[in-house]
Order: sequence, then structure tokens, then C-alpha cells
Amino acid sequence: MRILKGADDARNFSQCDSMLIGDQCGAHTFPYIDVQNPTARMEHEATTSKIGEDQIFYCNQRGISTEDAVSMIVNGFCKEVFRELPMEFAVEAQKLLAVNLEGSVG
Amino acid sequence: MLEIRNLHASVEGNEILKGIDLTIQAGEVHAIMGPNGSGKSTLARVLAGQEAYEVTAGQVLFDGKDLLEMDPEDRAREGVFMAFQYPVEIPGVGNTYFLKAALNAVRKHRGLPEMDAIEFLKMVRGKMKLVQMDEGLLNRPVNEGFSGGEKKRNEIFHMAVLEPRLCILDETDSGLDIDALRIVADGVNALRAKDRSFLVITHYQRLLNYIVPDYVHVLVDGRFVRSGGKELALELEEKGYSWLEGMTPEQIAAQPVGA
Repeated sequence: MRILKGADDARNFSQCDSMLIGDQCGAHTFPYIDVQNPTARMEHEATTSKIGEDQIFYCNQRGISTEDAVSMIVNGFCKEVFRELPMEFAVEAQKLLAVNLEGSVG
Repeated sequence: MLEIRNLHASVEGNEILKGIDLTIQAGEVHAIMGPNGSGKSTLARVLAGQEAYEVTAGQVLFDGKDLLEMDPEDRAREGVFMAFQYPVEIPGVGNTYFLKAALNAVRKHRGLPEMDAIEFLKMVRGKMKLVQMDEGLLNRPVNEGFSGGEKKRNEIFHMAVLEPRLCILDETDSGLDIDALRIVADGVNALRAKDRSFLVITHYQRLLNYIVPDYVHVLVDGRFVRSGGKELALELEEKGYSWLEGMTPEQIAAQPVGA
């Protein structure tokens, strides 16, 4: 985030939510802040979550395969952001997500 | 419908189930009671297929098929349903969306066509009335922010939609007040059918006033020590579990059936 000298009373809120899939990964979030105007207000928030085994089992017990369960939960997680995107881009983003998830559950 | 033979199961190396035998015919309601730590929930989770539980001996046949060989989702698709004691929350996934995915997975397995959104909603509205489900809870993410009573009711709602053959209720009454209990019991009773069986796991006799069982089995330290009709539940309530603890199985079997 960069706030230039002439931007009086600028306000920024950055939110970064990570979801971990599988046990080989981690998420490291570093805010890079460059503020050149002292009246600026900067806020940064980060969350990290993981798909719980018990959530997967709950889905399994209802007849949903693990792969579909992960896909549903990740889509639910991303839904809010996808909703803000222009439709064509959102559709592409969702398809990309499905391709990336395929085979990543193990 | 369900045949359990000499089932032994452990979790983290500790043996919890030490030789369970049970037969449930279609249409029957069996209750399992027992003190804390006796293995009641373990039995439910082993039947549902939870990975943490290791079966070390025995066999479970569901409609003649080997249940233990199946993945949990296949057991569900075959018609085994477990109402969880502590239902989890699934943020971001709508209750209705979730159920439609589940039902269609089950239907596909049975060779039935998938339901579209309109058919599904129509069917769901009917089921909602059956279990007095609040319409507002339909589109909320699964169990997110639901009260304890709402979560348990949601389990029964899922059961109504999925129409399973074997319904395992894992301490469905825990944490419920009398009114919530009655609603849950009404829902379960509305789903009784001659091709559907229930395995009701409970600590207290109270639930069985509302969901009247055909058979009651008492589980102590991983084994069934006594089986009887619904009067057995009343006897347990009167005498407490300590009446049976500390006795050998032979001594328990020799106890006269009280009035």
C-alpha cells in the first residue's frame, strides 16, 4: 500500500484471508506500507483458516465426496470476493479454482 | 437390515468396543443407553466410518453388504445416516445448496435422476414442515451461528431430506431443553416407516418417552450387558447405571426384570 504526499485524509483497509488445504502449506502475509502523508489511516487484517477434518467427515457422512466437499468449502470461502468481480472474470476465476483443486486433495 | 458381529474397535490404541453383537430389522427402533465412556458414540462413529476409529475385529453387514469396507460417503449413499452429537459449522456453504449436493449424490448412486433447483425447493418446503424448520435457516451457511437446538433440528431436517434407511442418532438429546427435545422427537417420529430403522443413542431415559423404542440395549465398558424392551430404560433410570457396573455379565443376566 502506498499513500502519496498529496493524498490528505486518505483511508485504507486491506483484508487478506488465507485458507490452507492439505498439510504441506503455510501462509505468510506481509503488509508492505509506504505512507508519505501523516493524515493517512491504514488498517490491515489477516486471517488464516484450514478446512477441518471434521468438516470433511460431516460432508462425507451426507454422501458428498471429499473432493466435492473441499471444492464447496473453498468456493464458499471465495464467494464474497468473486461476487465483487465483473461476471466474466468471476466465472473464469471459479473455473480456474476448480482446475487447481482437482487432484490437490490427498 | 443391520447385523453387527463381534465388533471390536479402538481409538488411539485404546480398545473401546470389546465385542458388540446387534441385529436390527427394518422398521425397528433400538435404543442404546450406557454410562459415560461406555462406547456409545464410538459405536455410532464406527458405523458412520470415522477414520480415527480402527476396527480390530468383527463384521458389520448392511443389507448383506460389508459396511466396513465402504468409504463414509458410500455408506451414506447406501442409506446410513448419522445425526451428529456436535454438528460442525461449514461457513460459506448454504444449507440448501449443501443438501441438494448431498441428495443428488445419493440419487446418482441409486440410479435416480438428479433434482433441479425448483423440484428440490418444492420437496424441501414439504420436509421443513415435518420438522418445524425455520425457513430463515435454509439459506444460512450450514449450522453457522445456529443455536444448539437449531443444530440438532437441522440434523433431523437433513435426515428428512435424505430419506436414509438406517438413522443413527448420536445423543441427539444432549443439550436440549424439553421443548426443543419434543420438536426433535416429533420430527424423528414423523420419519418412522416400515423400511426405515433407528439406532437411538442416549444417556438419559427422557428422550425415550418421546421416541419409544422397540428394544433397549445397555452398553457398559464396551459390551452390551443387557437387552430388553422399553421397560429396561425405566428400570435404569430408577436404579442408575451403577446398578449394573461392577457386576459380571452373568450376574447382570441373572438380575430379575423389575416391575
